[in-house]
Amino acid sequence: MTFGANFQLGIDLGLPSQNLLVQDSKPDSLLQRLDEGFDLITLEDGFALPTGDGLDAILFANWLGARTSHAGILAGAPINFLEPFHVSTAIATLDYVTEGRAGLLAQPLEGGRAAAARRATGKLNGYPEDNRRALERDFDEAIDVIRRLWDSWEDGAVIRDPESQRFIDGAKLRYVDFQGANFNILGPSITPRPPQGQPVIAAVAEPENSASLASAIDLAFLRASDSELSSLVKDIKSRHPGLRLFANVGFGAGRAGKDTIPQWTADVEVAITAARALASAGLDGIRFLPHEPEQDLAPLVEHVLPAIRNAGLVQASQGSTLRERLSLPAATNRYVVAAA
Amino acid sequence: MSKKQVIIGAQFPGVNNFTVWSDPAAGSQIAFSSFRHFAETVERGKLDFIFLAEGLRVREQKGRFHELDVVGRPNTLAILTALAAVTRNVGLIGTLTTTFNEPYPLARQLATLDVLSNGRAGWNVVTSPGAFTGANFRRGDHLPFAERYERAKEFIEASRTIWKGNDFAFKSKHFDIAGRSDLPPSPQGGPVIAQAGDSETGRELAASHADVIYSRHGTLEDGQAFYRDVKARLSRYGRAADDLKILPGAAFVLGDSQEDAEERQRAIRLQQVSPKNAIVFLEQVWNRDLSSYDPDGPLPEIDPEVSSPALAQGRASRIDDRLETARAWREIAEREKLSIRQLIIKVTARQHFIGTPEAVARQINQYVQENAADGFVFAPHLTPTGFDDFVDKVIPYLQEWGVYRKNYQTQTLRGNLGLAVH
Repeated sequence: MTFGANFQLGIDLGLPSQNLLVQDSKPDSLLQRLDEGFDLITLEDGFALPTGDGLDAILFANWLGARTSHAGILAGAPINFLEPFHVSTAIATLDYVTEGRAGLLAQPLEGGRAAAARRATGKLNGYPEDNRRALERDFDEAIDVIRRLWDSWEDGAVIRDPESQRFIDGAKLRYVDFQGANFNILGPSITPRPPQGQPVIAAVAEPENSASLASAIDLAFLRASDSELSSLVKDIKSRHPGLRLFANVGFGAGRAGKDTIPQWTADVEVAITAARALASAGLDGIRFLPHEPEQDLAPLVEHVLPAIRNAGLVQASQGSTLRERLSLPAATNRYVVAAA
Repeated sequence: MSKKQVIIGAQFPGVNNFTVWSDPAAGSQIAFSSFRHFAETVERGKLDFIFLAEGLRVREQKGRFHELDVVGRPNTLAILTALAAVTRNVGLIGTLTTTFNEPYPLARQLATLDVLSNGRAGWNVVTSPGAFTGANFRRGDHLPFAERYERAKEFIEASRTIWKGNDFAFKSKHFDIAGRSDLPPSPQGGPVIAQAGDSETGRELAASHADVIYSRHGTLEDGQAFYRDVKARLSRYGRAADDLKILPGAAFVLGDSQEDAEERQRAIRLQQVSPKNAIVFLEQVWNRDLSSYDPDGPLPEIDPEVSSPALAQGRASRIDDRLETARAWREIAEREKLSIRQLIIKVTARQHFIGTPEAVARQINQYVQENAADGFVFAPHLTPTGFDDFVDKVIPYLQEWGVYRKNYQTQTLRGNLGLAVH
């Protein structure tokens, strides 16, 4: 037995894939095949990218969410430069739209990208200073408050009780009263607790920064080479045993030179062997990053995906929510647990 | 000469006391299936747009969460973008504050909605109360009250700069931003701008910057006066009278006969103003705890408390002169012999069109043809089925009279509204 019971396949359909999906509305479309073929779809956000920013990923996720029925959808967001309250309600809304398939891909921006984001938003009170430590702390705090806002309504807060003439039971709503380094957020959310309770939060991890990986995330996409992956998995799993780990894998022809992540082509035999190796290294799945979506998505969906499935590497998905698919435990509500 | 075309927007009945949740037919205010049903119905009726209100903090009364009305809503832009994926023609207008957003993230999101909907996005520009709502945002209570419209105006200008695409830079009193935006051009040239508010500042901002003004006016004569006033302001900004559409908020109640409709209206108002809710409304004016008063009894004899801060937080409307309002309400109650609940039902009523479908259609058309409005934004009282009868029974009359489209003629919101693409 070399494979986890639940090895999964994901894909990023961020900036380069946007036009392809927006223009594609036929039945039996590419989007439908991607939805059926993958367990999860991520949408990396191009916020303030100097080369062009593209669609807002959280909104694009809500659009895709209404047009899909299977894959989990994780929307990218540069949370250092956004209001955590808006991010929290928008991901909760995605969870309602998809009936439990929502997640957030929290994107830390560094260096030139952080500087470009700051130019685009302006330098504002309540946002982090332009240094790595301040950005990292703000990143962790934003994730914390986004999660607290999801818990700020208990399940069953809406009572519709004609007897007492009350729509909600106010005792089941809570101030999160978060006080951080840069900002304070009182709450509660304006959006009732989403179907999953806690939508999945993911981030990208690299060998250099894995030590500072936010402990509040559920899923990490590892940006590491074949030779680094195995030890990185061991290292992270020893500290965060519950964290799900996917390998980032570049996909497509015409990629030469030294790469920081594994690169696959439509060579099916090679792909199966490589997938076996990743599974035995303890990874929970793969996230494909197509180079040129216009050329690469078709061979990936038509050849590589079925081959990996037919080789017995991947089992049928369990459950309908993204948390269930990833075998994450059902989310508890911190405020209810604390009160019990 | 062809008849003036009626514009009709559909407000999703969510968080407010007009949404009746105690009716057996009332469905979820948050499930996507409710929004989808609402959107599909509205589009079946060939209506111009869907309209969502905003609330960024759960409302409070006497320092506690207000429990009596519908509460809990999705993120406005997220749900509108999801609806863009399941509709083709209907416009999608969201109410979004300029106080607790920043131009680049918000303009980019509006442009995203515009692209994904093929040119159906609209933005109802509002400002927010500082300290109460600010407690949920990074910047907190960052804006002096007097500067809120100034920031709103600069915010719209910054957004239009960003929507032009490519490299952008915008510097003003409130903003200093630069970057690059590369979204494909919108088929309607940029989101429709709506502006809500009847104040002098609000009217002027609408005349200079908006495509739609969302107002509240009751009688035909009041509407005509407002209409003349606002349209006359446009020429100062080099704009034509048709460049700004005036759309008051209103409600409708349909029945098999006039009597039947009026009976339904009475029943709905009783559902909207429950006994406890009547006391809550009264407390907003009196600014005192009145929970010991009988809703079916007379008004309090004590006067409102005017020195302490407001008990009610997070509501769109404020009652400024409490003593004067209390005096006027006492006078009405005494004259018409009304209990607390009966009085509240009377004084909090919105503009209503009540009658048979044909009578309601005729009233709507009269307001439009006689220039009291260019159309209406209707908020039904039931989620999500509140528009079903309106679409099936009222719209066909308007179509028959040649004042409402039988099929969508364009794909964009500007096209629906008869606005020029720019």
